[in-house]
This record gives sequence, structure tokens and C-alpha cells, in this order.
Amino acid sequence: MSSWEGFLIVLVKTIVIFGSLVQVAALMTLAERKFSAFMQYRIGPNRVGPFGLLQPLADGVKFIFKEELTPDGANPWLFRAAPVIAALPAMMTIAVIPFAPDVTIGGRNFGTLSVTDLDIGVLYILALGGLAIYGVILGGWASNSKYSLMGGLRASAQMISYELTLILTILAVVVMSGSLNLREIVEAQPTIGSWHIWTQPLAFLMFVVATFAETNRHPFDFNECEPELVGGFHTEYSAMKWAMFYIGEYSAMTVMASLTVVLFLGGWSVPFWPEAPWWVCLGSFLAKTGFFLFLFLWVRWTLPRFRFDQLMRMGWKLFLPLALLNLLVTGAFVALR
Amino acid sequence: MVIVKRKELSLSEKLYIPEVLRGLSITLRKMFEPKITRQYPEEPLPKTEVTRGQPRLVVREDDTIACVSCGLCEAACPAYAITIDGGETDRAIEREPVRFDIDMLRCILCGFCEEACPKEAIYMSDELELADYSREALIYDIDKLKRPKAALQKRIDYVKRINTRWQTPSST
Repeated sequence: MSSWEGFLIVLVKTIVIFGSLVQVAALMTLAERKFSAFMQYRIGPNRVGPFGLLQPLADGVKFIFKEELTPDGANPWLFRAAPVIAALPAMMTIAVIPFAPDVTIGGRNFGTLSVTDLDIGVLYILALGGLAIYGVILGGWASNSKYSLMGGLRASAQMISYELTLILTILAVVVMSGSLNLREIVEAQPTIGSWHIWTQPLAFLMFVVATFAETNRHPFDFNECEPELVGGFHTEYSAMKWAMFYIGEYSAMTVMASLTVVLFLGGWSVPFWPEAPWWVCLGSFLAKTGFFLFLFLWVRWTLPRFRFDQLMRMGWKLFLPLALLNLLVTGAFVALR
Repeated sequence: MVIVKRKELSLSEKLYIPEVLRGLSITLRKMFEPKITRQYPEEPLPKTEVTRGQPRLVVREDDTIACVSCGLCEAACPAYAITIDGGETDRAIEREPVRFDIDMLRCILCGFCEEACPKEAIYMSDELELADYSREALIYDIDKLKRPKAALQKRIDYVKRINTRWQTPSST
């Protein structure tokens, strides 16, 4: 295989994966409204296209044609940069997620369905996940509004307290599978019995809660918190800048859902069918990710928002010691095995 | 002083997770229950004889307008929505309006014009939709207000019935 072919393969994979991510993020905005409607005996958007499927497109057109407002006294460059900083890291993290095993079309092997097979994939995701919060803080600060600033500050405090839990729970999985490479983590759990959700139930539970806090979703969406902070960090944003924050939020949800699947649900492994072809594996991965995406919506429309002190208490006094203890026990177990 | 007694939480409620699962099961069940949304323009609300929509002018069976432009509705209108200019005809009923405008942006659908009318010429129809692209288009002139009597018959019968409800034979 020449280097030219290798480049082409990576290019096609990038376009497919990145395009799908943006598509899923757009469809999630529709799914959010649809499922919230169903849970409240309503129908939801159904006017644009069949079942309202073209609603995200209509929203996009609306966002482009809306007026862009910049408040007086706002820092113009940071104000413009913040939405990009918020959206980009979430989109970049998708690069290391392995969606399916070796893709073979017509007898040719095109390698794992991921943009890059990084040896430090877990580290890469955590590093970029930490960057995403800068968009929210800068957006809050640059707006020159107290609501925005409060939203940004809360987001940062929340992010710090839950990033620790997130890292420690991921570490437990890393210790179990002995690799930072996401593909190898998936390959370490080939059968349904060896999924890390069974060996690390506590870590799984804490990881899911931490992903909710990390992506600033209900019941931990303190950076928005409509009753107290109007719109939180994006109070002063409008039009496409505002939409960028939402693209970032839904992309982050998608990445976090697929990361949950990779770490705890065996990635592409199909239950009771170890020899499944790659497209069945891909379907299995997407189905599991879809469930976690639905979980994000499901929880949002079920639970009321926590109080901020409750959130911090839970993060520092409950989750952090539990995660540390879990890591210690896991480490001891692996070392003595 | 009011002392609020907080409910003592059981262990499973304090752990929060069983309660979260209970909440999730409730929302999941609600997802599959019948929807109550009404697709409005396609499925309009049922209209009854009591429906008090926009005022309309009665056109009798012989194609003449019932209004004699006496101006009582104009005087009764609390929102000053009605403007009438009278004119003469060769018919047995000598007067008819040459101009009868109702500014539908002013009209509050109170029905005072209907009550004031001595000639049973203006009635509140069951037409409710009121939307247009300009303010001028919402000042309805006589041609827009005319309705055949048959279209308003339900409301006419209803008004006659409630107006005679308290009448005893001796008082008529």
C-alpha cells in the first residue's frame, strides 16, 4: 500500500466520522425536542419534512439569518473565539474513538474505523475535554454580564470537581485492561461477560454521572441554570455563535456516549457473536451509543436540577473518595492476580 | 410560627439511585401514552352555538343587507371599532349602509353590537381566525363582513333563545 493510498484512506475515514458526528449532533437537537415532547404527551416538531426530520436544517438557516449582537463592553475577540473554543475540542476528541474492527470491503483491509489509532487515546480525550471548559469560561467572561460570568465560574468549579472523578474512574478501566489505547481497551472485553460494566460497576456508575457533569447536562447544567442565571454563559450570545455552543454541547454528548461504550460496554463487541463481521460490530457500537445518547435526554426530562452546593458536596465528598478507593482496590486486585 | 415537618427519608430514598430509576421508569412509561396535542389548522376545535367569534353582517334571503345603518352598534362599541355611513335605497326599507367598516384590530369580540342591534343585522359568527400581513387588510369593509343568514342561523337561534329565557307570557 503506497503512502498515497494510506492518506486517501485516512481522509475518507475522517470525512465519514466527522460528517457523522455533525449529523448526529444536529439530529440530537431534534431528538431532544421529540423525546421531551413524548414524555409530556406532546408530539414535538413535525412540520418540516417527514416527522420533522428537516427541523435541524431549518434551525440552521434561521441561525445564519439572525442578527449577531455583541454587548457593550464585551471583549470582541474573546467573545468571538469562545464559541469556537467550546465546539472544537468536542469535535476533535471523536478522532480516537474506534467505531468498528478492521473494515474489509471486497477482501481489502482498511484498518480500524477510527481517524487515528493513538496509543495515548485516553490521555488525548482527557486533555481536550479539559480544554472545552475554556470556551464556556471565556464566553462568560467576555460577555461583560454578571449572569454570564456566574455561569462560567460555576461551570469551571463543576468541571474541576468532576474531571477528577472522571479521570479516576477511567484509570480503573485502564488498570483493568492494561492499555491507554482505546482499541486495545475494546479488544480486552470481547465477550459480554468481560465487559467492564460487570467488573467495574461502581466506576461505571460514577463515570456516567461524571459525564453528565462534564458535558454540563441536566441535572448538573449549572452553567445555564435558567431560573437563576437567565441563560448562564450564553446569555449574551445570539445567532450562529450561540449555535456553536450547542453544536459543541451535543458533540460532547456524542463523544462521551461513545466513550462510555468503549470503556464499559465492550465497544463494538456483539453479545453472543464473537465472529461478527465488521458492519454488525459497527451497528452494535452505534446501538449502544444511541442508548447512552437517549439516556442523556431521558435523564434531562426526568430529574430536577441539583442545588450547586449539593453538586459540589457530591463531587468532592462522595465521588472522589469512592473513586480513589475503587482505583486502590482495582490496583491491588490486578497486582495480586 | 409555622413548623414544617420534613418527611423522614428512608434509606433507599437517601441513596437516591432507586428513586432516580423510579423517575426514569415513569417518564419512559409516559412516552408511550396517547398524545393530547391537537394539530390546530388541520384539526380545529369544535365550535358550538355559544362560540362568540368575529361580528358579521346578516344578508337576508332576498340578497339585501339587514342593516339600516341606525348607528346603534357604532355607539355601543366600547372599542370604537365600527364606522358607518348611511345611504338611501328605493326598497321598502329605505336605508342601508354605504360604508360599514369594522377595524378587526380594535374589535374585542365583546358582542355589544349584537346586543344593540334592533334589526337583527349583526351577529357574532363562529369565525375565529384573524391574521394578515398588513394592518390595512384587517379593517374589514362591508363586502368582507357580509354573510348569508343561513351561515349565522345557529347563533341567531341561540341569541333569541337566551333573550327570551326570562320572559313570562304576561310580560310579552
